[in-house]
Amino acid sequence: MILSASGAHHYEMPLSLRSFTSLKRALLSSSSPSLLLRGSSLVPTMAASSTTTVSSTDAGAQLNQSAPSSPPVQVAKRLEKFKTTIFTQMSSLAIKHNAINLGQGFPNFDGPDFVKDAAIEAIKAGKNQYARGYGVPDLNSAIASRFQKDTSLVVDPEKEVTVTSGCTEAIAATILGLVNPGDEVVLFAPFYDSYEAVLSMAGANIKCITLRPPDFAVPLEELKSVVSANTKAIMINTPHNPTGKMFTWEELEFIAKLCKENDVLVFTDEVYDKLSFEMEHISMASLPGMFNRTVTLNSLGKTFSLTGWKIGWAVAPPQLTWGVRQAHSFLTFATSTPMQFAAATALQTSDSYYEELKRDYLAKKAILVEGLEAVGFVVYPSSGTYFVVVDHTPFGFENDVAFCEHLIEEVGVVAIPTSVFYLNPEEGKNLVRFTFCKDEATLRGAVERMKQKLRKR
Amino acid sequence: MEGKVSRASRKLESSPIQELSQLAQTCGAINLAEGFPDFPAPPHLKAAALSAITADFNQYRHVQGICHLLATQMKDHHGIAVNALSDFVICCGQSEAFAASIFAIVDPGDEVLLFDPAYETYESCILLAGGIPVYVPLSPPDWSFKKDELMKYFTSRTKAVVLNSPHNPTGKVFTKDELETISEACKIMECFAITDEVYEYITYDRELHISLASLPGMQERTIITSSLSKTFSVTGWRIGWACAPANIASAIRNIHVKITDSAPAPFQEAALTALQSPPDYYCSLRTEYEARRDYVVQILSVLGFQVRFKPKGSVFIFAELPDHCELSDIEFVKKLIEKAGVAAVPGCGFFHTTRQPQDGEKYQRRYIRFAFCKSGETLSAARQKMEKCVNEDGQLCL
Repeated sequence: MILSASGAHHYEMPLSLRSFTSLKRALLSSSSPSLLLRGSSLVPTMAASSTTTVSSTDAGAQLNQSAPSSPPVQVAKRLEKFKTTIFTQMSSLAIKHNAINLGQGFPNFDGPDFVKDAAIEAIKAGKNQYARGYGVPDLNSAIASRFQKDTSLVVDPEKEVTVTSGCTEAIAATILGLVNPGDEVVLFAPFYDSYEAVLSMAGANIKCITLRPPDFAVPLEELKSVVSANTKAIMINTPHNPTGKMFTWEELEFIAKLCKENDVLVFTDEVYDKLSFEMEHISMASLPGMFNRTVTLNSLGKTFSLTGWKIGWAVAPPQLTWGVRQAHSFLTFATSTPMQFAAATALQTSDSYYEELKRDYLAKKAILVEGLEAVGFVVYPSSGTYFVVVDHTPFGFENDVAFCEHLIEEVGVVAIPTSVFYLNPEEGKNLVRFTFCKDEATLRGAVERMKQKLRKR
Repeated sequence: MEGKVSRASRKLESSPIQELSQLAQTCGAINLAEGFPDFPAPPHLKAAALSAITADFNQYRHVQGICHLLATQMKDHHGIAVNALSDFVICCGQSEAFAASIFAIVDPGDEVLLFDPAYETYESCILLAGGIPVYVPLSPPDWSFKKDELMKYFTSRTKAVVLNSPHNPTGKVFTKDELETISEACKIMECFAITDEVYEYITYDRELHISLASLPGMQERTIITSSLSKTFSVTGWRIGWACAPANIASAIRNIHVKITDSAPAPFQEAALTALQSPPDYYCSLRTEYEARRDYVVQILSVLGFQVRFKPKGSVFIFAELPDHCELSDIEFVKKLIEKAGVAAVPGCGFFHTTRQPQDGEKYQRRYIRFAFCKSGETLSAARQKMEKCVNEDGQLCL
């Protein structure tokens, strides 16, 4: 294979999905923080699937056999930032150890019947061919209506709403459509892992601000020092994954002021907006003067427990929507048609659905939080999402990865080590993330296991 | 605020296909433009999707069974041995598989060869990744290329060749000789091939689709992309895949996970049913499409179009405007929509080179693409509408 002018980039054989112990060794033996990320290298995602499980050792052996002794293959340099997600690694280990999975953020209960029925009707009615690229009109309208109810902003479904394959794609389309190589983009750590990867795909120059416990408040002066006329965009996720933090009015106003002064865009990921418990969710787009410079991202999956349907969207003024739509049309071209019709039905549901959703999740949250506190974690307050981050250090492990390994292997519970959500993993090594988007029996079961087997040191 | 749009996406223009499509909709024209069926998806597939939704296959998932079924097909149909556990990436359609593949291997400044005319999306992906599209013109009327000419387009910066066969818009199926030529070039120049094989099961006149990866020395450097969409008439389900050696598949997968993370779950389940369709299904598919092809070739010929190349595959006919017609392709299509109430696609959107044949005419403005993935009723209605606009010689006159 041709070696690039800037030097050979030998693509390493993907690590087989070896046991987490050796992964830990690899991670801990590295001195540089970037190596920490590189340690969790390009392992094929053997995702958890209830119908078709693959044992990790088989996969490993197979990989070693199958990899051709071909010349070093030239993959793009941007791949350095694209690692196997920690989620799928954890899920594979969970299966292997029969652990209760409070790591990956999808429910183990299903979505509401009325939405599933709508999808079934759409398939039967023959809505199985390409939808209009930027969305089925009914869904664009439903999104616009919902957005208006939530923010009081009136948006044009034809010009200001774009439907994508999940919010993941909305994020990718927004960044690829609007960010140039070399543009400065501000990111708050810890962050959902696709932000950094896609920003590096776009060649952006990332400026990272860390949110710190106990309340993960935005360090306003630090933010101010980083934003300038050179800043292209600020990325916000509220309610925030993994901490559950919700950006306050004061924080959003401060950010808005900086944006207006420096002509900066905001990309805001609000997929958990309906899971806001301790305060009202506030959309940046609704602040004075902000709609024209904000792309608001959301999806169906979290609100309606249908994460596998991949229906997401971006709401933005026409001049920003255009860039999003361009990128989207070359990333996936169109979004799953029957699910779009069902999503339109879902979004037209009355507020009682959302109230019940909140009640259910609050009950689940109580079980988990009380349980975690009883076990001995330091539990940080989570205002929204279905995540909670805790400090694991009372249990005496040197970092989050080591703790999570122990938790799976000896206790039989999965959590996510949050260091992967930081540019500098050192900053997250005391924290792990639990989810409560599981049925109550599962949550109680996990708490029980931890009470019995997790001991402070 | 327009300055806020990325440079890359600003290079991409709104597609003439989309604009004319909107005109067609406004005029209520019969749509022979866009390449998706107006007949229902196969019942056994729909039933499988309904079951999956009801049985709660609705959360993020990767259905490994798809990979095993595809691996078997590759072995049986092409003699290619792939590893089901490591060589596949299930994506939201071939569209995403292609985009992820490009992002996995193309660095800024890398050149990617494309055959012209070409489906418009390939170039956009390449540009978005910072790559440079380089076009190898296919020569009318049979859309062939010369071996020695092909080599001229390779440079030390060539990273990959994109091969779409069966081909949109011409309906060409690349021959064994042509594939050998392409494979030799790829091996000499040590570059990748990315194939788009979405029409792999839609071939005619007993022509068989040959997968480039099945040629000697090609599997290790070829990324195959395809999907359920055209084979199973479910273009709206977004189930596609990339298949490549484990190292490359891993790279593609890692990109895919950041672009969409997962293809729609219930349709992945339904894909298991689709991919276990009996040989009968594929026979009928071919037979029925061949009948449609023949029908439309005949109509267009009678109406005065020059169909000098009968498609050997895909669901498209790339017909040349009647000799006497002085309109450009766009003007012609506009009139076809407005006067005859039938929509087709002007060929210029597919051409990117400006090479002219010896008679000096710009052939790139003389072609119209008609899709025949439509029901008998639709095709018949289209014929009737066009027949209303003929002159005394029975030729279409707009």
